[in-house]
Amino acid sequence: MGSPFDINGGACVAMVGKDCVAIACDLRLGMQALTISNNFPKIFNYAPSTYLGLTGLATDVNTVSDLFRYKVNMYRLREERHISPRPWPTCPVLAGINQTTGKPFICGFDSIGCIDFAKDFIVSGTASDQLFGTCEGLWEPDLGPEDLFETISQALLSAVDRDALSGWGAQVYIIEKDKVTQRLLKGRQD
Amino acid sequence: MDKIVAQYSRPSHQNEFYSEQEQQDLTETLPPLSLKFALPPVANPSAFLRAMTDDHSNPSCPIKLAHGTTTLAFRFQGGIIVCTDSRATAGNWIASQTVKKVIPVSRLSRGEDKPSNEPTPGLLGTMAGGAADCQYWLRYLSQQCTLHEIRHKRRITVAAASKILANLTYSYKGYGLSMGTMLAGVRTTASFLPSNQVGLELTSTAFIGNPQEGPALYYIDSDGTRLPGNLFCVGSGQTFAYGVLDANYRYDLTEEEALALGRRAILAAMHRDAYSGGFINLYHVKEEGWVHHGFDDMNPIFWKTKLESGEFSNVTSEL
Amino acid sequence: MPGFDFSNYNRNAALHARGVPLPKATSTGTTIVGCIYDNGVVIAADTRATSGPIVADKNCEKLHYIAPKIWCAGAGTAADTEFTTALISSNVELHSLSTGRDPRVITCMTMLKQHLFRYQGHIGAYLVVAGVDPTGVGLYTVHAHGSTDKLPYVTMGSGSLAAMSVFESMWQPDLNKEGAIALCSEAIKAGIFNDLGSGSNVDVCVIEKDKPTQLLRNYEKPNERGEKERNYRFPRGTTAWLNQKVISKEDMKKYVTIETLSGDDNLAAGEKMEVDV
Repeated sequence: MGSPFDINGGACVAMVGKDCVAIACDLRLGMQALTISNNFPKIFNYAPSTYLGLTGLATDVNTVSDLFRYKVNMYRLREERHISPRPWPTCPVLAGINQTTGKPFICGFDSIGCIDFAKDFIVSGTASDQLFGTCEGLWEPDLGPEDLFETISQALLSAVDRDALSGWGAQVYIIEKDKVTQRLLKGRQD
Repeated sequence: MDKIVAQYSRPSHQNEFYSEQEQQDLTETLPPLSLKFALPPVANPSAFLRAMTDDHSNPSCPIKLAHGTTTLAFRFQGGIIVCTDSRATAGNWIASQTVKKVIPVSRLSRGEDKPSNEPTPGLLGTMAGGAADCQYWLRYLSQQCTLHEIRHKRRITVAAASKILANLTYSYKGYGLSMGTMLAGVRTTASFLPSNQVGLELTSTAFIGNPQEGPALYYIDSDGTRLPGNLFCVGSGQTFAYGVLDANYRYDLTEEEALALGRRAILAAMHRDAYSGGFINLYHVKEEGWVHHGFDDMNPIFWKTKLESGEFSNVTSEL
Repeated sequence: MPGFDFSNYNRNAALHARGVPLPKATSTGTTIVGCIYDNGVVIAADTRATSGPIVADKNCEKLHYIAPKIWCAGAGTAADTEFTTALISSNVELHSLSTGRDPRVITCMTMLKQHLFRYQGHIGAYLVVAGVDPTGVGLYTVHAHGSTDKLPYVTMGSGSLAAMSVFESMWQPDLNKEGAIALCSEAIKAGIFNDLGSGSNVDVCVIEKDKPTQLLRNYEKPNERGEKERNYRFPRGTTAWLNQKVISKEDMKKYVTIETLSGDDNLAAGEKMEVDV
């Protein structure tokens, strides 16, 4: 029996740019060696410019994303306003732009809720070691949306090409104050 | 003085035939397995090795072996197709995407591994399982094949070569070897070598004709299994390759069709199996020897296959 | 106090026995120290968070707020130090509101040790508690199993030996504020450079009698990353993509109402605590 974190595979990364953030994930869903699906995005949207990336056991990705959807909806009904990106335990990678301050925000969590506020990048998933390497080398401060897209895409694609359990294409969201661009990357299919 | 007399008074016919030692060497097709390995000083070495290397039950095991692979080989009317992926993994880490998993075996076939239109004579072996085990023992097999050529003035048959390997793996059964290999080759009458190629003076050039073996394919693994057959796939991606091969394989495939089928079967396995990928390594074994048909990145081939023939429709551009 | 449900713990132990590895928690392979001086107390910490051999966070915060004049430095499992101090902080505040007095360091230390003892070391929080209260200056260590200690200078975490060597050779009984800050900073640096689990920057917190507490975040940064001589910016168009979708603010307005508020940073900040003195 393998670790529950390594059964389905998957990778996620978020990066801060100048007045923008980007979050990206791969598309693989596997059962250990067997690739079951190559269309399993791991990024979920909870409010305008608030995105959450979840990696790990796929059943928990679904459960947590649905539970969080429910909590967000309850919050909106009760408070009569949208949530802004601020930490909430049990979610691995959070990226967005704070609606109040307009500031880019990213943070990450370990599985028991230790928060990592970062001003550069957050990584998670089976390719996290590789992502640490590529991000540490490629990220630089104050990248504009288009440059940030290239940087996060290349960081993710290079990382998943060295991980057997993730890859098979990728999705990237570039979040700006009044616009979100979602792109489907052409990745290696092995 | 007696000594000197004895030294120079051998019968005149003595050099006309093999010495006793030479005769013995010829009758023993195999030297005894004199290879001695130092084993770890524990009660049960194979269990110890398994505990140290089995990353499935213990992901933090100290030694991670390169495992996953897809290799295939099949016989058809025009010879044998041998095709492999090129990925080496240690756990989930992709250690290399450019491994050469087809190993030429036997002395005369050890040509340069560059694409050449001229067939290179000799056998091909494939690598699946522990990379070190396969490389080491195929190299050992290569030595034995070369010795066979020198002793018997003829190239070894695939049947005999595969048996050397199978006997070897069987003798190490339970010691934790991990290999699944296929041996492919064509033995024809041309395999009887002219004497000047062997480098030894021949006393008799008359051979009692062996029936020609033709294209032969054997599967040998670390359990000691040895199977002749028309079609084999070995490795973590074998099921995916079998799926494609079983659907499209016929013995009377043309050369072009057979090469395309080998490539397509490996492509399918690379796509679905996490531990297979990288480059497609394709060989064709003919009567005159083997021909290399490229070591090509799978990614452009995948997208070309998808766009041109509409296969792999599971990969979409929908958002 | 909230209780833990141990059914998952039992499940995990059973799975672990069958060979499933435990999930990796972020741990603070850490150096934390504390030192009292004539008029107060200084605590300090490094800023490295690790997950196995990986540096998960290069500039994390290990100094936790308990009360305005009581602060904690945490080592061990990061989530446990974070949530334990937050829980105790909230209980300390309730306690001080109900008694109408400033909270005492020993009260906080007792609450921490009772909480940690109850969980028999399963909460992996190793803490240095420091503060100033009406009884004077307090400096304690609290271990995950619930044992505590009271000393003039303390160190904890994987770098505690390196840090203690500095205290043992340089500590004096009559330190002033500047001397205490310098000594604590030096001790943390010993951990940063000599312990592999500790690294990056030095955070310092100074709690002094009759003065506001100072949190000196990144008091020293001895490990600034060298500036890149050139950049690795990719030319636009490097990454091949198959499809894109643009969601503009105009599109969003069809489904939700959007209001832009002023960019005031302090909008989300909490109100100040009022306590009878």
